[in-house]
Amino acid sequence: MATTMERRMWDLLLILTAAPHSSDVVTSALRLSQAVLDNGGSVRVWACGYATMMTQDTFGDTKLPNTRDPEGHYPSPSAIVQRMIADGQGRFAWIGCTACTEERGATHHIPQVRHRSPLRLAATVAGAKQTLYLGGA
Amino acid sequence: MDAQTARAADAASYFLIESKGNWAGPNAGTFLLDAAALAEAGHRVRVFLVEDGVLSAVGTDTPEIERLAAAGVEILVDDFSAAQRALGATKLSPHVRLAGMDVAAAALTQDGCRGVWH
Repeated sequence: MATTMERRMWDLLLILTAAPHSSDVVTSALRLSQAVLDNGGSVRVWACGYATMMTQDTFGDTKLPNTRDPEGHYPSPSAIVQRMIADGQGRFAWIGCTACTEERGATHHIPQVRHRSPLRLAATVAGAKQTLYLGGA
Repeated sequence: MDAQTARAADAASYFLIESKGNWAGPNAGTFLLDAAALAEAGHRVRVFLVEDGVLSAVGTDTPEIERLAAAGVEILVDDFSAAQRALGATKLSPHVRLAGMDVAAAALTQDGCRGVWH
């Protein structure tokens, strides 16, 4: 007997292609994600292009020391993503585009990152109620 | 059903996010004029200015902001982006109001809302 599978729908998909530090866009993406999570919603980020560099496991947990604030704690981007995934309890996910990852040799992602071929981008968009493209190649 | 009722029934809700400043090229202003055109066509339109997009809301003589306001568009300015650029509320157009990212999150997760980020 044929059965149908319920497909999970995410509230928001952010397709993030902008390079970190190119502008405020990564900050905005993370702020918007956190706001949706705080509102009880669910968010997926599809990292493309140089955004795939954000979740490299080689960053460790913190940025380089700030000499003007040596006691300060400045989490690395990968640590922020890890924390948001853990705190989100299944409502926040991070996808790394495999083509962009391999093109940049940035293949050492933190284990929480899902790896997806760009051939699955359309299906990922179809699995979200709302999609925003935060562009800049 | 008369034309006005039919138009209202077809009306969609848009949440348009502008992140580019005017000097980034003509596209920022064009995006805001697209928002005004949608509102003038009878749709509900909210514009959220974020990052360098908040600079479009400075002063009182920005034509795009004036046209948006005349079309009944709700114009929101990201409070964090404004603060990062040292823009106090007094420097902004009277047609805009400061809002947090929570407002954007709530709007984008409303059923039927069409969001665009530029």
